[in-house]
Amino acid sequence: MSLVQKFSADVLSFLGPLKLDGGIVFDVKLCLEEALINAMKYGHKLQKELKVRLGVEYNEREVRISIEDQGEGFDPGKLVCCTESANLLKSRGRGVHLIRQLMDEVYYNKKGNAILMVKRLKREAGNRS
Amino acid sequence: MEAKLFEQDGVTILQVTGEINISTSPDLRKVFEKNAGKKLVVDLAKVNYIDSSGLATLVEMLKKMKSQGGSLGLAGMSEKVKSLFEITKLDKLFLVYNTQAEAVSRAK
Repeated sequence: MSLVQKFSADVLSFLGPLKLDGGIVFDVKLCLEEALINAMKYGHKLQKELKVRLGVEYNEREVRISIEDQGEGFDPGKLVCCTESANLLKSRGRGVHLIRQLMDEVYYNKKGNAILMVKRLKREAGNRS
Repeated sequence: MEAKLFEQDGVTILQVTGEINISTSPDLRKVFEKNAGKKLVVDLAKVNYIDSSGLATLVEMLKKMKSQGGSLGLAGMSEKVKSLFEITKLDKLFLVYNTQAEAVSRAK
């Protein structure tokens, strides 16, 4: 899984020209790593021969990160809510929850094997970033 | 990640530095397991990053600590790390203190 940290460092370096503040860097790094781990661990079940497709683009308003694995996909709507009292002690489900909370927009494809995450870089009315 | 262990007033303090992530969590789990059943304070003041596997490790250890008659307090979290506990509602599960001294005082 140290590959995850390597890709994460590469992406943050690629975003360097944006001179992002520490809070946004933290959010982007966390969501990127969580999504990569989900792709490799749950999508690919740690099969090393399978490839993860990672795309990153940015402009002055937002960063867009897309990640696609070669797995069977999953239904994000069926994940248990990790913040319900009955689930607080469970080990799984927090990664997707953190992504939903820290990113401004999150989309999955129909199959559930690809995610698009959008982080806005400027404060606008009604924007969490 | 580095983990330094020491005792103060009968309380074991684990001072963690760096990132608690999917690569470093197993090492942290080993340290926890050797100290299960103790009064433990984890000082997170020098932790600049924690991911969901790090959070899950802390939850696992909280369960183990409680089952073995120990206690687990978290101290010194940065605002960003603390916000992850709030987003995941884990701040309701853990004893969270602003400083190591406060956590040790309450754990005694």
